[in-house]
Amino acid sequence: MNLIEKAIQIKNQALEALKKVVVPSSLEDFYNQYLAKKGEIPGLMTHMKEAEDKAAYGQTVNATRNEVLDAYMSKKAEMESAKLNAKLKSEVLDITLPGTEEEIGSLNPYWMVIREVEDIFLSMGYEVVKGRDVETDHYNFELLNVPKDHPSRDMQDTFYFSPELLLRTQTSASQAHKMCEMTEKKPIRMISPGKAYRRDDDDMTHSHQFAQIEGLVVDRNISIANLKGTLELFAKKMFGEKREIRLRSSYFPFTEPSVEVDVSCFNCGGKGCAMCKGTGYIEILGAGMVNPKVLEMCGYDPKEWSGFAFGVGVERVAMLRYCIDDIRRIYQNDLRFLKDFK
Amino acid sequence: MKISYKWLQQHVDLTGLTPEDIANKMTFAGAEVESIGRMASGTNLVIGKVLSCVNHPDSDHLHVLQVDEGPVHGVHQIVCGAPNAREGLKVIVARTGAKLPEVEIKPSVIRGVESDGMCCSLLELGVDRKYLSDKQVAGIEELPEDAPVGEENVLGYLGLDDVSLDISVLPNRPDLYAYENVAKEVACICERPLIEEEMREIPVKPSHFRVGSLSAKCPIFTARLITGVKTKPSPTWLSRILENAGIRSINNIVDIGNYVMLLTGQPLNMYDADKLPVRELIVRDDLEMDYVAMDGNSYKIIDGDLVVTSGGQPMCLAGIMTADACKVDERTSNIVVESAYFAGASIRHTSNRIGLSSDSALRFCKGINPHQNEYVQKLTSMLLTDLADAETVGETVVYDVYPHEEKVIKTSLSYINGRLGTSFTKAEVISALTRDHMGIAESGDELIVHVPAYRIDMEGEADVTEEVIRVLGYDNVKSIMPTVTLDLTGLTREQKLENAITTHLRERGLTGVITYTLVSKKETEKFAYLNVAAPYVLTNPMTVEREAVRTNLAHSLLSCASYNAAHQNKDGAIYEVSDIDAPGVASRHLCAVMFGERTYVGDTVRRPYGFYDGKGLLTSIMNILGVQPGRYSLSPWSLGKEEFHPYRSCEIRMGKKLIGVLGEIHPNACKEYMLKNAVVLELDLAALLEIRTSPIKASVPLKYPAVTRDLAFVLLRSVSYEEVKRELLRADALIKGVSVFDIYEGEKVAEGCKSMAVTITMYDPTRTLRDEEIVASTEKAIKALQIKFGAEIRQ
Repeated sequence: MNLIEKAIQIKNQALEALKKVVVPSSLEDFYNQYLAKKGEIPGLMTHMKEAEDKAAYGQTVNATRNEVLDAYMSKKAEMESAKLNAKLKSEVLDITLPGTEEEIGSLNPYWMVIREVEDIFLSMGYEVVKGRDVETDHYNFELLNVPKDHPSRDMQDTFYFSPELLLRTQTSASQAHKMCEMTEKKPIRMISPGKAYRRDDDDMTHSHQFAQIEGLVVDRNISIANLKGTLELFAKKMFGEKREIRLRSSYFPFTEPSVEVDVSCFNCGGKGCAMCKGTGYIEILGAGMVNPKVLEMCGYDPKEWSGFAFGVGVERVAMLRYCIDDIRRIYQNDLRFLKDFK
Repeated sequence: MKISYKWLQQHVDLTGLTPEDIANKMTFAGAEVESIGRMASGTNLVIGKVLSCVNHPDSDHLHVLQVDEGPVHGVHQIVCGAPNAREGLKVIVARTGAKLPEVEIKPSVIRGVESDGMCCSLLELGVDRKYLSDKQVAGIEELPEDAPVGEENVLGYLGLDDVSLDISVLPNRPDLYAYENVAKEVACICERPLIEEEMREIPVKPSHFRVGSLSAKCPIFTARLITGVKTKPSPTWLSRILENAGIRSINNIVDIGNYVMLLTGQPLNMYDADKLPVRELIVRDDLEMDYVAMDGNSYKIIDGDLVVTSGGQPMCLAGIMTADACKVDERTSNIVVESAYFAGASIRHTSNRIGLSSDSALRFCKGINPHQNEYVQKLTSMLLTDLADAETVGETVVYDVYPHEEKVIKTSLSYINGRLGTSFTKAEVISALTRDHMGIAESGDELIVHVPAYRIDMEGEADVTEEVIRVLGYDNVKSIMPTVTLDLTGLTREQKLENAITTHLRERGLTGVITYTLVSKKETEKFAYLNVAAPYVLTNPMTVEREAVRTNLAHSLLSCASYNAAHQNKDGAIYEVSDIDAPGVASRHLCAVMFGERTYVGDTVRRPYGFYDGKGLLTSIMNILGVQPGRYSLSPWSLGKEEFHPYRSCEIRMGKKLIGVLGEIHPNACKEYMLKNAVVLELDLAALLEIRTSPIKASVPLKYPAVTRDLAFVLLRSVSYEEVKRELLRADALIKGVSVFDIYEGEKVAEGCKSMAVTITMYDPTRTLRDEEIVASTEKAIKALQIKFGAEIRQ
């Protein structure tokens, strides 16, 4: 057997031995036996001077080493990957268990409706103005064209602290505030969400405390057509692109003309159902052109300025939209009820 | 207000229209028809005559009748339980197949006897119980002897084939409390002609009766003395009209008064002339005395109440109720008819004060037409003559200081189109207003509108505009977005911050709630620490539970927690942001309440909410607000706060100002709210939002490495982390940071002590620290803790 044949024999032995390796320690033994500095394959080089054809022998030894080393490396990688897989397998989790983070909190539908209406009007360029619950007779009534002894005070049973101080019966009071506070009379586009109070017994549909969102636009040449355009856009954003609105003549002391605004039923699409009582429309808000007397009392000359105003009942919208059967649920804050409103 | 459709048909040509059509049109024009009611209903009805009536062989109260239902239907056998069933009686028969409001008639066998149809009472036809006598309710209806047998239009024969429209009258249209004005409105809205009636004038005799008013609240008072009237039942047509309006027929005199009020909107009052002390009626408002009204009750009259007097004695609480002393009864033959104008506000005050209302009081309160008293008197006289056999009619005696001026409004086509956003032609506008019974004159571009007297609501151009669009219909208005000049809008800084905070709280698992502003007076004292002031208290609360404006949110939220804990939610975290108003206080608070246990990973990890959960919220809220930790301080209570755990709560101050309270609530408070535990954080959000913060300035990351060392030591429980931290930072200039990473109190350390472990961070921004500097610095830190707190360092 010449040296080259010897080298090939060692290579074959090594490759055969590698196949039998199954545990990391024997892989290490294998390495030490064949590939380490003093292993059998580097040892072949010591026979170089005995070789007849040195170049051929050198090539053979190198090839042998490379082949065995490659085989060893891939065996090693294979074993490491098997080991890692075994470890990962041992780390198996029950992915159906809950996550570490707590659930996020809910938001009372009352606030959800206010947020949504605010967003719609903010994107139309309105500002959000906050009024206060405790209000004077002057702002709640007088400036809104409801003088003392006005018949429409019968419509609103008011909570009083004194003859001049009361809990506001409508968010419209913030209209008067805004107009009066404009030292320089400029156009106004505002909404004002807030609480209002009336001496109603609490039942399924009445609440002594409730919320409204007041809207007011004052500018030169504002018309009912502008009111209709604005509220139609609002209805589409709030209740769906297919919604239509219709106006019915009505009465509010602070607007003239006054209208009730109906939105085509978002439950049945206008065909008539239990929600709209078969009419295809749902009464959603009251509105009108700001009464010239109100403009005048608040410092806007009705010959130069005109405006429209509207008021949305927050709970009514929430109840219709989320199918809430009883207004008291909103104020009860039962967490089992609120949990759905994320 | 209910109105008979039949009456309406007699006054407006409604051919081809149904009550539903009219209801729909009226509703869009601002006179909403809330419901359409039928007086009675029933199909397959016929008038029959009882030919024979024998007792049922197998019953002690049933009868077996042979009923003649006329030539078309023949004779049928009917088993009937009515006690008044008898031979010869004319009856209403509901034939087999008839549909009545409550029942459908089918052929049946009653205790072995065949029965084909049913004899009815009016109650069974749906007539309201209140219009029926006890006799009518107990048995079947007894028709007059001349009732036509075989007549199928039974409801028509009875005058019950009518429906009533129930109109919701808005405060600006009190004129619609008068049928005559409703007819005008319907004629206008439905574009149908009115059917005018000529009124028969009754000749009048001179009168010595005197009237007057000593009060400005009664500018008009008219009266007529009418003699020889006879009280008797009203004719059916009159009873039916009243019943359709919801008013029970009493007798002809009373009914005429109500009928005239329904027609004209003008309340009448009638006095028994012979019971008046003197032949005069004077209105005053300066009496103070007890008053017995015709309902038999005694009421107190006070200064300011309008009273109609005769010889100084009160004869009528004006517009509300006649005195018992002069009321009209069956024996009355001479009457005084009053038609007057009383100021609505005055009537309302009196009516509200004594808790007595009536149809007339309602009309005065809403406002009546002051220009029609003579017409009303004439109409009443005619009816009293026709229906109550009045012998003589005295002329109208009048007190009238009312300025009877015609109302004229000047406007223009351009104003109307401008406010409506429409492009109506002048002809369209004039035609609409004319239909609406307005008189129109033109002067150049101006439209001069003459308002009819009954439209007391019309005041200016805006009202005319409303009339135009009400009549022409809102469908003529297009949708046009307003054109605006662009301007900076959007939420204010404060609104944005508030939204950011509440959004954060929800992300932290807290739920946003809304609770009531009104609480009991006692409740305003609970948890009242911030913005302390006496609360606003209502002068007219509905209940003591809701008589004052809350002074804080903690109590409301704890009550909400309490409700939830009692309803299967013993763990929860809630917050609310709300204005807080009190005399001298107009603030806005944010409050969070956490109760029960906080859970992680489902329910696998649970621990009770505690002080540090609240403090964690406070820290993140301050982060959002951009308030640096050094700008506010937490300190133990400076005052006794019995609702909080004395050692697990604190006040939060900025400088000297109290801006919040934080803590676990006292076990006694827990008991009161029926909670196991709860943490409260209430902040004066308005004050916090006012804080100006400096803009963010970026810091440069350290160039040289910072070095950290951990120190663990045992010291007295009373020493706070804050004190430790301050001491460590002071110990050496290289120590730039301290953070705690472990706290232990328990068996392994001596009683009254705790073990604390902190990491100190050292660096010099100009160079890398050398080992010996680090050692020296750490030594200084240890020494400082030993000297200052007697801390025992654990190696």
